[in-house]
Amino acid sequence: MNLMTRTISQMFPAKQTVSAHCDGPCGVYDPASARIAAEAALSMTKKILALDPKDHSLATANSLSRFITIKEEQAHLAKTDLLVLWTDYFKPPHLVEYPDLHDTFWQAAKLCSAVKVEVSLEKAEALMKAIEKIHTIFWATKGREVP
Amino acid sequence: MEKEPGRGMQESKGKEIFLWMIRARQRLRVTGNSMHPLLTAGDEILLDPQAYRHQPPNIGHVVVASHPTQVGLQIVKRVRQVTEDGCYQLQGDNPDPAQNSPSQVHGTSILGRVTSRFVRAKE
Repeated sequence: MNLMTRTISQMFPAKQTVSAHCDGPCGVYDPASARIAAEAALSMTKKILALDPKDHSLATANSLSRFITIKEEQAHLAKTDLLVLWTDYFKPPHLVEYPDLHDTFWQAAKLCSAVKVEVSLEKAEALMKAIEKIHTIFWATKGREVP
Repeated sequence: MEKEPGRGMQESKGKEIFLWMIRARQRLRVTGNSMHPLLTAGDEILLDPQAYRHQPPNIGHVVVASHPTQVGLQIVKRVRQVTEDGCYQLQGDNPDPAQNSPSQVHGTSILGRVTSRFVRAKE
């Protein structure tokens, strides 16, 4: 019987599919996107700090404006990516092993805001560290160590 | 029909195959692993679309339902809970919470009961 069903399945595979995905075709979760955005925000912070505040040339003003714009966008992107991980990937059972999970995300989100509001190397680097912590937790929940 | 109600999944044999041949069963292919270990991606299953014509789904039944929000998507899950207003909470068997979220559907979205596994996915 098995041979018969297997032969039928090989010759005429079932065309219609049913999804046993988590909740329909799910997104691929990866804290890498938040990390990359935070790195870009850090890079912009450094570039702004490297500008000479006494230089009032148009060229410098233009560069400053672009750095600020990108810092704002990337910090916001990091915040959004972190929000998606927090709300969609992590689930109540994860809290058992990581009871400070909510606080970790809260602090990381606050650092995203601080990076927007300030030109602070300290805050930008703290954001990188916060995302690194989330990265470690994330991959631990998948049973893997990812550098 | 099942070895333990709501737990095991019989392989399609005589009666199930006959019912499939006379179109009383639909053959479907599973994608995804939220029903692991019972069902694996690539398995083919037989669905009885008339299973709930006269009686409602029970807790423990493995059913196919229309996805609550994604048009055209059909999902295969186990009935976990039934609410008084005719809503069913469905969830996969996979113990990994990251691969398994519950869905809530109205009874009218349930398309039938999975009655047997036609073929296991290729190793």
